[in-house]
This record gives sequence, C-alpha cells and structure tokens, in this order.
Amino acid sequence: MLSLNLKNLWARKWRSAMTAIAVILGIALVAGTYVLTDTTTQAFDEIFVKSLEGTDVAITAKSEVDQEDGSTPSLPAKYLERVRRVSGVELAAGTVFTPGAILDSEGDSTGGGFSPQFISSTLPEELESLDYVEGTVPSGAHQASLDKAAAERSDLGLGDSISLVGTGEAQPFRLVGLTELGGASFGGTSIAQVTLPVAQQLAGKQGEFDQISVSASPAVSPEELRDRISEVLPKSVRVETGTENAERNADDIREGLSFLTIALLAFAGIALFVGSFVIFNVFSITVAQRTREFGMLRTLGASRRQILRTVLFESFVVGLLGSVAGIFVGLGLAQGLSTILKAVGAELPANSLVVLPRTIIVSLLIGVCITLISSLIPALRSTRVPPIAALSETIAVGGRNRVLLRSILSALLTVVGLALIAEVLINGSSGGSAALRMGAGAICVLVAISIFSPQLVRPAASAVGAPLERAGGLTGQLARENSQRNPSRTAVTAAALMIGLALVSFVTVFASGLSSSVDKVIEQNFKGEIVLQSSGGFLDFPSNAVTVASGVDGVQAASGQRFGMAAVDGENTSVSSIQPATAAEVVTFDWNQGSDQNLTLLEDDQAIISEGLADSQGVGPGDRIAVQSQRGAEREFEVTAVVAPGTLDLTGELIVTQETIESFFGFDADSSALVKTAPGADVDQVQDRIKDKLEKPFPTVDVLNQQELKDTQQDQINTLLYMIYVLLALAVVVSLVGIVVTLILSIHERTRELGMLRAVGMSRRQIRRMVRYEAVITAVLGAGAGLIIGVLFAFLLGIPLEEDGFALSYPIPTLIVILILTALAGVVAAIYPARKASRLDVLEAISYE
Amino acid sequence: MESTLEETTESGTPENQIVRAIGIERFYGEGEAEVRALDGVDVTFEKGIYTSIMGPSGSGKSTLMHILAGLDRPTAGTVEIDGVDITGLDDGDLTELRRDKLGFVFQFFNLLPVLTAEENILLPLSIAGKTPDREWVDLVIDRVGLDDRRTHRPSELSGGQQQRVAVARALVTKPAVLFADEPTGNLDSKSSEDVLQLLRAARDEFGQTVIVVTHEPDAAAHGDRLIALRDGHLVHDAPPVSADAVIELLKTLA
Ligand SMILES: Nc1ncnc2c1ncn2[C@@H]1O[C@H](COP(=O)(O)OP(=O)(O)OP(=O)(O)O)[C@@H](O)[C@H]1O
Ligand SMILES: [Mg+2]
Repeated sequence: MLSLNLKNLWARKWRSAMTAIAVILGIALVAGTYVLTDTTTQAFDEIFVKSLEGTDVAITAKSEVDQEDGSTPSLPAKYLERVRRVSGVELAAGTVFTPGAILDSEGDSTGGGFSPQFISSTLPEELESLDYVEGTVPSGAHQASLDKAAAERSDLGLGDSISLVGTGEAQPFRLVGLTELGGASFGGTSIAQVTLPVAQQLAGKQGEFDQISVSASPAVSPEELRDRISEVLPKSVRVETGTENAERNADDIREGLSFLTIALLAFAGIALFVGSFVIFNVFSITVAQRTREFGMLRTLGASRRQILRTVLFESFVVGLLGSVAGIFVGLGLAQGLSTILKAVGAELPANSLVVLPRTIIVSLLIGVCITLISSLIPALRSTRVPPIAALSETIAVGGRNRVLLRSILSALLTVVGLALIAEVLINGSSGGSAALRMGAGAICVLVAISIFSPQLVRPAASAVGAPLERAGGLTGQLARENSQRNPSRTAVTAAALMIGLALVSFVTVFASGLSSSVDKVIEQNFKGEIVLQSSGGFLDFPSNAVTVASGVDGVQAASGQRFGMAAVDGENTSVSSIQPATAAEVVTFDWNQGSDQNLTLLEDDQAIISEGLADSQGVGPGDRIAVQSQRGAEREFEVTAVVAPGTLDLTGELIVTQETIESFFGFDADSSALVKTAPGADVDQVQDRIKDKLEKPFPTVDVLNQQELKDTQQDQINTLLYMIYVLLALAVVVSLVGIVVTLILSIHERTRELGMLRAVGMSRRQIRRMVRYEAVITAVLGAGAGLIIGVLFAFLLGIPLEEDGFALSYPIPTLIVILILTALAGVVAAIYPARKASRLDVLEAISYE
Repeated sequence: MESTLEETTESGTPENQIVRAIGIERFYGEGEAEVRALDGVDVTFEKGIYTSIMGPSGSGKSTLMHILAGLDRPTAGTVEIDGVDITGLDDGDLTELRRDKLGFVFQFFNLLPVLTAEENILLPLSIAGKTPDREWVDLVIDRVGLDDRRTHRPSELSGGQQQRVAVARALVTKPAVLFADEPTGNLDSKSSEDVLQLLRAARDEFGQTVIVVTHEPDAAAHGDRLIALRDGHLVHDAPPVSADAVIELLKTLA
C-alpha cells in the first residue's frame, strides 16, 4: 500500500502543497517566535556575562517593589568604604548606571523610540567591561564616550559634541571614545560613559551608587568573598557573585521576553487554528472525491483500517513537510519580526540566529499533530465508504448532515464558552490564567459557530448573493447556487476567515474605544491646556522643566505629576503625586468622597486613594493606610479623600504630594505636567514660549496642546494596532489560501459542468466572473460573521472596563472598509481558480470522466 | 456496398448550405503512435435536413462532430458555418458562434444540477443576456412534455426527462444547427425513442437542421440522410432506405 499511497500523494501534489501552506505559516510563526526570543535571550546573556567580566562580586540595592520600568534604588556611597575593608577584596569601585537620554548635536536621540538609553560611569580598568575601540576613556568633566553602534547610527565621531540628559538640564559633552562590549550587540540600546562624579551629578545620585563592583584577590573565591561582604552590609543590600548577578539579570530579561513569546505564540495559535479549518476542508473534499476509489479498494479487499491509514498517511506527510518548510520560513520570519520591532523603535539585540533543538521538535510536533487531528474526521468518514460505492454513478459527498447533533453540540459549546468568558468578566480577575480562560471561551464560541454555520450558509449566501445576482445576472445566480451547493464546505471556508476577521474587528473596536476614552478623559479632566511629557511619552523627564515652565509669561500654573510602584498590604500598588499648590488649577478629578479642594489641602503625610483601594483595604477619609516603598521603608498615611474610578489610569491608586513621592518613595522625575494659561492669554503663543524656554535645557520634553496630546496617544494606540494587524494578517492569509484551494477543488469537481457551460456559449469572462463571485460570497460571509462576532466580543469585554472610564465606540467606517477589503481579497483569491476554470479545454471537459 | 459512396458529397445550392467541411484531417499523436481520427473528410450539410452519422466505435464520429461544431480544431482543412470560416476564429468568436448559432445535446451531463429544468432550458439565453421569447419557450417546453417539471432539479428527473430538457435547451435558441452526440447512449429503448422522436419533430415542425451521431438503426432510417464513417474516412452518404438496410450497412463497416 505504501507505494500506492506515495503515488496518490504525488498525483495530488499541488493540492497537498496548498494544504501545507495552512501549516507552514502557523509553524513559521511558532519557529520564528522561538528563534527570535532565543536569539534575543542569548544576546542578553552575552551582554550580562561580558559586562561583569572582571567583577567577582556585585553589590546592588534590593528592590522591594518591582517598578514597571525595571529601575532599582541606589546604594549609599558609604558602603564602598566598608566593602574595601573586607579582607580578600582586591579592588572595589562604585558605579552609576542610569536611564537617560543621549542626543547628538542636533538634539536628535541616538536610539529608537522604545530603545532604552543609559548613562554609566567609568570604572577602574580591571573592572571595566567596555572596550575602548577608538579614542580614550573620558576623564574630564565634559568628556563622554558612546557605544560604537549608536555612534554609527547617528553618524557621530570622535570630537563631536553630544548632550546627555539625566534628572536635570541637558549638558554638553565632547565625544572622546567609542566603546564595544566584546562584540556583543545592544540592539537599539545605547550607552554613554562619563566619569563617576559626572554620572552621579547627571543622575542626581550624589553620594550614591547603583552598583559596587568588586574583584577578589587571587586567594579568595567569589563565593567566599560574597559571604564575607554580606556580613558587613545591611539586609536591604544584595550581594552576589558576578555569575549570580548575570544570571539574575538574564532571568529578568527572560521573564520580560516571555510576554513577547506568549503573545507571538498566541498569534501562531490563531493561524494554526485557522489552518486546521483549511486542512479539514481539503481532506473532506478529497475524501468525497475519492469515494469511488475507496469503494474500489474495498471491493478488492482493503480493510477499513487500511483506508484510514491511506488518508492519515497523506495528512502525516503534508503535516511533516509543511512543518519542515515552516521552520525554514520561520527563520526568515524571525528576521522579519525583528525588523518590525526595529521599525517601531524597539530593536532587540541579536547576534546570529539561535535555533535550539526545542524549536525544531516543538514545531514538528505541533505541525504534524494539528494536521493529523484536522484530517481525522474526514479520514474516519473515508472508512465508512461501502464497497458498492465503486459502482454507483453519482458520487456521494461527505457525511450525513446531522442537524440535531450539530445543533446540540454547538449549543453546548456556546454555553461553555460564554460561561468561561462570563466567569472572567464577573470575577474581574486578571493575569495569564484569566486570559487563557477568556481565550478558551472565545475558541469554544467560534468552534460552536463553525459547527452550526452550515445551517446558516443557505440563507446567508442568498442574502450576500442578492446584489451580485442583480449585478451579474446568471453568473451571479450560479455563483450563489454553487456556494450553497455544499453548505459545509462553504461554511468551513468562511469560518476560517471569520476567525481572523473576528479578531481584526475586535481589536479595531477596542482600539477605537481606547482612543475615544483617552480623548474623553483629556477633555473632561484636563483643565490645563498644555501638556509636558517626554518625547515618545514613555520616559520621565527632569522636574525642573515644570519650574521653568511656570515662570513663562502667560502661564497661570504648571503642575507636575510622577508615577511609580509601591506596596500596600504586600500588593503592588501604583502611586502618583500631585503638586498641591497648583494641581487643582490644571486638573479635575471625579470624586467619590472629597472635592478638588482636597488636592490643594493635601499634606506630606496624607494620601488620596482610589475607590478600588478604599474598597479592598476597607478604609475611607480619616483612616490611616500603611504603605511600603521600593526601598522597603514603611509609613502610614492619613486618607483624606477617595477618587471615583472612570478616568482610565490618570492617577495612581494612591496619590501623595510631590515632596513625599521624592523623599519617601524615591521618584524624582516627572511623568507628565499640565500647564494652565492665564486668563486672556493666547494658548498657542504660550505654548510657543514654553517650547522656546524648554528646548535647550530640556530637549527630551515635548510641549503639546490637548489636540497634539490626543494625537500622540492615538499614534501609540495605532502603532500597537497595526502590529496586531500584521500578525493577524497571517491567519487571514491562511484563510484566503483556504478559499483558493477550496475553489480549485470545486472547479475540478465541476469540470464537466464548466465544459457544458462553455459549449452552450458561456464566455471565459463569464466563467471567471462566476468563480470570482463565488469567492466574494464566501469571503463576505466569513467577514460579515467575523465582524459581528468581533464587535460582540468587544462589547462584552468592554462592560467590566466601563467603570475604569473605558467606553466603547464603534468605528463603523473602518469596519465597512474592512468588509470591502475582505471582499476584494476574495476577488484576489479567485484570480488563479477563475483563470484555471476559464482556461479549461471545452472538449476535454465534456469528455472528462 | 462501397458503391453507395457517392462521387461528390456536395449537396444543395451554396445558399442552402449551412455547414461545409473541406479536407478535414485530425491526427492525434506523432510518428509510430499517430492516430488518424479523420483522414480527409469533405462533407456539406443543408438547412432543414436531419442527418444521422453512424460508424463503428473509434471511426471518428465524435471527432467530426466536435470539429464541425468548433469545439475542436482540425489538423488540416476548413469548416464553414453559415458562410463563415470557423477554423481561424479565436475563443471569443467561437464562444459567440456557439451561443448564437449552435445547439448541443451530449450523451450525459447536459444539465447544471443547481438549476431547475426551466432554468436549464433558458441557460443559453441567460448566458447571452437575451430575454426569452415566452411563447417559443412555452411551445418548446410543452413539445418536450415537461410542462409539469419546470421547477424540478435534474436530480429529480429521470434520465430520459433530463435528455428531453437538454433537447429543449438546444432548441430554445433556434440554432442554425443542432448537434447531438449519442444523445440516447445512456437511455433505455423507450426513452431513446422519445428523445429521437423529439429531434425528428424539431426538423419536421420547426425546420430545424439536425446532425446526430447515433447507433440506433431505426432512428437513422427515419432521417433524411445517413453518413457513415470508417477509420476516419467517409464511406457512405445517402438517404436511408430502411432499418434493415442500415443494419446491413453497419455490418459491412464493422
Ligand atoms: N484526445 C485523443 N487523443 C488521442 N486519440 C484520440 C483522442 N480522441 C480520439 N482519439 C482517437 O481518435 C479516433 C476517433 O475517436 P472518436 O471519439 O471520434 O470515435 P467515435 O467514432 O466517436 O467512437 P465511439 O462510437 O466509441 O464514440 C479513435 O481511434 C480514438 O482513439
Ligand atoms: Mg463518440
């Protein structure tokens, strides 16, 4: 049988190749994801290992509360003397390593939008990990070095001037050296080095270090030295060997990257899910078309098991070859993904592509299993072909249409799916497991709809086909009839598209809701007409900028806000600050208990809290609440007011004064600031004046009016949206391939009909139009169902978010454009099948057996 | 019976000729494997005449019909339909020719399963985007005896009924020539009789030109003209005498 199987497969090689595409794209994303993250992880490992070369023991401050930007508290400089006195310490030096901005002489950043930039201090040669490949180590107050890759990106050379921004005004430096980290790639990240005092001054860390690096004398092991040093330092300090430190940092990165891995794998899962529909369809059609052949084999004495094996063997080979091809495509995709990330300003470090055995094994396993599972039902159906089928004139297509079973099954799945979703929505839990249950619920509902959809194809195709029939007359009618001829075939093809389109419309509606909600908060809660934020909006900026802005002519009040994480009752809790003297003039909150006056009256040992925090802690105005800072210190605050939810994340859950957030929580840079113009002042003119004043000392600060702020928010949301579109496009392409294959197979089946139509005078153009219309009907069915489901899901998910100030808005024109684009995609998918159908030789077609 | 082969296959006046085939050759394959399906056939068909084409299996009947109808191109020779040389026409013109001037009935698979009987009958008109002449359509449907089957799908019709739908479809455009290739090959004798009678009636009542490939001596005997092929050559062309004479003729050809 094997040689027969192979011959069969070869005879259907094109069909098999098309089917394989359904596997290839999904597996490519699986493999690509692993390759990308493994490559990145490996590059980071290298960075951490290399940057700790020569460092036997690394001393850092423990962070009791993880910050969203990953920053850690600094160490008092006095610890250095204690460390130096420990026996076995050969050399110990404090360093500063702080996020900042590195700008060329034009004021342009040397990195991409999301890529971090760091300012670090030089170390004694024995501990220094950066190699100076050009120039010298900075030694004066106005000398700096830069990593070579960043210098090349910004076209900078020795002697050029750059400016560095820490927590104060931008300061000019002359580039005296170019560095490399033993050939390791930084991705989009750049690092500038200055002398220790300069770094401390730039970072506002006078008398502090971020790390103390120690080398051991030859007789002492790093572990021994680590233990000795721990004894002389307080518990809040973390003492590690260089290796331990590198591993911990690498683990942190791995954890950070795991989000990317999971997100990308989720999209791969979607593509594979869609692909399984396509595989199911192709195998169903193939089995139906081979009914007579199977019957003949059965008359010759083939057992059911042998028939089953024939079909499964074919699907195994398709799955295997598809997965192998997928892995290769995945290598290219990994490159593509990193290009996309680079394009949006988040270039990841990478050396050569890393392909682990795990990547290959997992890809092959998933690809083969999905193909086998998807073809199982058609394969089982093939075993039910009776020997008599060999003799029958008409070819029985597919299995029985068990309407009742279908209805019950899909009703059951819908209930389970909705229950899963409702549970998450009602309990309001968040995090990975909730997302998983939510996704499982969505899959249940989608599968339920797919199972039931053959019942809907007839009426739906009639509705969708009506305009085509009006436009195309007979060709339209035939196209509609053809799409209804085999409802489950059309349904599965459309369902594949439906899934992709449901997700597309879901994120579209959601993103539009987010944009309009942000706009609403800006309109309703921002009294200040002008906003200061860092370029890009993600980093903090020097707080002096607000002081300068308040002095500008025409400014009535300028008030800054800072953000960070603290802990209440062991739970991570966001904390933000206001400047009491000016806050009420620039912003208004929705109050649960209290009024804008509470802003003005807020004192350093008091806090305003969110309704959520008030509920979970059971506290209200007059009560006291204990809060732990990142450094581990604890302090009680008196609650003075409670803010109602409904303003997205305009504030933290805990609001304290600017003074407190700096001295107690340790956050000294502003996240944003609002400026209220004086009555009668021209906002545009004031904005220009602030810009003029800030441009030179604070080049990283953007001065925006409310509209510009809305636009930048919109841009950020759209960037994310487009990235999701690109990833979903993979699933949509798979479903379009599904349309192509299904059409080709149907045309193959209808060869004689097409020949007859041609014989009685149908032109090639009419044949093409007929096929095209059929594709459009299928595409619009899928897209229409997808849009409805996507909007519905967005609606459901929007309900619990409403109280955070999230309000859905429905971007009808965008959705219509999506529908039209999908119909056009249907036209494109039909190009090849339509050509094929119209090129059929009439004579061959009518004498075709 | 070689003597029945007439010296000239030209018949009728030029303006009365609807199909003219001159020096038709159709070869398949090359060299050793070459098959001469038609090896120099000259034949002309007149308007309003019912012609039967007979001959043993593989003698080239279907090939000839396909070439006459512009479904296939000859290796050599020319075919004129209604005075137009069709051997040089491109696909578009041939399509138009089939649409406007020719009608077909095949052995099987004549109908679209997704359309009703009436829709199938109207198919050529729909394809051409013409409005049907209701009176004519009703007459044809009535004549083929399918008045009560108009809304049935092909799967709900018997084989004979399906072929009658096919005949009605071929007649509905009032084609210059109606070609039928073994239209009864798949039917029992009663249904065959019905279908062939219909084709003859088309000639008698509507003056329809009919060219039909058939193996039924009875049917051939009732036609105006009988052509026989053997090994790609035209070997007989005369009005049929009787069914028995036709059977005799076939025996000599086999
Ligand atoms: N596509 C083709 N390729 C090769 N040879 C062919 C092809 N079509 C027909 N032939 C050959 O041409 C010859 C004539 O075939 P044709 O189909 O015209 O015969 P026929 O008289 O219609 O026979 P039947 O009564 O069996 O239908 C046969 O020998 C056949 O094998
Ligand atoms: Mg034949």
